[in-house]
Amino acid sequence: MADLTLDHVSKFFDDGGSKVVAVDDASVTIEDGEFLVLVGPSGCGKSTTLRMIAGLETVSEGEIRLGDDRMDNRPPRDRDIAMVFQSYALYPHMTVRGNMRFGLEESTDMADADIDELVEETSSMLGIADLLDRKPGELSGGQQQRVALGRAIVRDPEVFLMDEPLSNLDAKLRSQMRTELQRLQEDLGVTTVYVTHDQTEAMTMGDRIAILNDGELQQVATPLEAYHRPANRFVAGFIGEPSMNFFEMDVQGDELVGDAFSYELSAKSANAVEGSERVTLGIRPEDVEVIDDAAADHAYETTVDVVEPMGNENAVYLELGGERRFVATVGGMRRVEAGESVVARIPEDAVHLFDATTGETLQNRSLESADLDAPEANL
Amino acid sequence: MSVRDDLAERVGVDLEAVDPLRVALYATLVGLVAFYLSPLESGLMTALKTEAEFATSPPFVPPTVEGFTLEPFGVAIDTLSSAILNSIMLAVPATVLSALFGSFAAYGLTNFEWRGQLGVVALFIAGIFIPYQAVLIPLSRLWAIVDTQSLLAPVLDITVFSAQVPVLGTVELATHPHYASIINLIITHTAYGIPITTLLFRGYYKKLSTEMLEAARLDGAGAFTVYRRIVLPLSMPMFAVTLIYQFTQVWNDLLFALIIIPSGSGPAAVATIALNELTGGIIQTFNTQMAGAFVAALPTLLVYVLFGDKFAKGVAGGT
Repeated sequence: MADLTLDHVSKFFDDGGSKVVAVDDASVTIEDGEFLVLVGPSGCGKSTTLRMIAGLETVSEGEIRLGDDRMDNRPPRDRDIAMVFQSYALYPHMTVRGNMRFGLEESTDMADADIDELVEETSSMLGIADLLDRKPGELSGGQQQRVALGRAIVRDPEVFLMDEPLSNLDAKLRSQMRTELQRLQEDLGVTTVYVTHDQTEAMTMGDRIAILNDGELQQVATPLEAYHRPANRFVAGFIGEPSMNFFEMDVQGDELVGDAFSYELSAKSANAVEGSERVTLGIRPEDVEVIDDAAADHAYETTVDVVEPMGNENAVYLELGGERRFVATVGGMRRVEAGESVVARIPEDAVHLFDATTGETLQNRSLESADLDAPEANL
Repeated sequence: MSVRDDLAERVGVDLEAVDPLRVALYATLVGLVAFYLSPLESGLMTALKTEAEFATSPPFVPPTVEGFTLEPFGVAIDTLSSAILNSIMLAVPATVLSALFGSFAAYGLTNFEWRGQLGVVALFIAGIFIPYQAVLIPLSRLWAIVDTQSLLAPVLDITVFSAQVPVLGTVELATHPHYASIINLIITHTAYGIPITTLLFRGYYKKLSTEMLEAARLDGAGAFTVYRRIVLPLSMPMFAVTLIYQFTQVWNDLLFALIIIPSGSGPAAVATIALNELTGGIIQTFNTQMAGAFVAALPTLLVYVLFGDKFAKGVAGGT
């Protein structure tokens, strides 16, 4: 068992003579037994990164190491990794048993009886022991998904790679498999890289998440750290549902001036934005307070445009100066009607400030309990 | 009660419910069936008649009791049997080889990426469109130069074709130096079949899941193992398509056989050649010719029956 290291890894594709950068100088170390989620919008290079680790794509620049062994020049079969694909990629002409045996038959010289025993053991762990003699075509999506997992687990590899393995399941089964997969990974203790575009999966499953955009690694952090201390505006907007509200504003001394409203800054925040002419103010929907008192500081008169009731909470879309500007979430039992006038308060301690041009974080929200898993060092 | 209603009641059909369009449709279909089957039927009836009966009755009318005979079939089988054996010895290997090589080529051309691939694919496709006539002279020159029999002599005495039959032991099927030309025909038909089989397999292999083949590679299988354990078992419907197509093609070929078999005849003659010779000299014996046609067509029919369901699957593109 060893750490998996991506050392300044890049991938270029040749697109009719012009160079397309799919992954740009990504460096990350995945510790032994860690569950790392690679997340980002489609086309951000997360699948390419995974395929480079698997050996299905060549590495254009940089190195991939498992422990101290360089892996990126080895063929896939010599890397001791197993991968679970989005489409499950089961062999349709083989039984479940055949599917699970295949990898052991091809990559080890284990005796038949030992292979059988291992397959039986793994299949009962996954609750598919009674399906061993069926073919993939006779199984439901959820069962196929378990077989795909079983095929990977039975090989006992150094690293699991998972490429959106849950995205073909229906919502209910997906959330069930999410917890099951997490528990399984914890029990097995195998280093796992998990690719998804679903930020819920990223938040709930990973020990750490790596957020990618346009082939560039934006931030590698624990889920909570990425949520509360995003490294830049992209991460702040990508993590969290509904997304963070953003306002483009000019810096004028101690005040931020935007199209719809102005925002007074404390000395500390004013210090943070010093040197920037334009900044982006960000506030998470749950931090927007819907109150009655228009006289409070940082409070603005707004009109409710649309209310989306979710049961446990209501997402309230607010208009400011005649345009829909931002979302606030309030408790599900609180009655808010469309057309109503309410006061929205944007408390300063929950405000994130980003440089408007670079997107870099200038100041994150302040937190009362600063005990997020990782220290504030990399901010 | 009108006559019409009375009739309807007696035959148990509600005439009001009969759609005239449907009647027209079925009438047309029956007409088409009769149209397509009438030559076959006439042929079969002719083959079952004596020559005297054939001369006095229309071809499609069944033979009378006196006019009925199986003799034409007896003659046809006697005359054609060795040629049919030759045809089987030609068509089976040529079919299997061209399907197998086509499948190899398609796998290499479809499921791997390499430089210049499309150019090679284009060459294969161009190969499909080379007319037989264009290669006749080069072919006859080639097989005049290449002496297959002496080339193969160190490994195989092809003047003797024998088979291991249970109980009977080694059975000599036939012996003649001209069997070298059957090997020449096998090679020619295999080569000529490869482009089309490659194209058929390529269309099929393009639809194979890339992720599945990648999964097999990650599972530790090399390129050939992936072919043997994944691609080949999954190509069975396509093999049925190519086998039927190629078998029919090779079995029915007359042109290559005439060119490659010396003097277009002799003991190495294939069924199509022998059938051509099954004419009664000056007097046309239509009944034996028809019987011969049926006997010669039987193997292709058998292949269709054996692989028919797989063929349908392959054409439908299922796996």
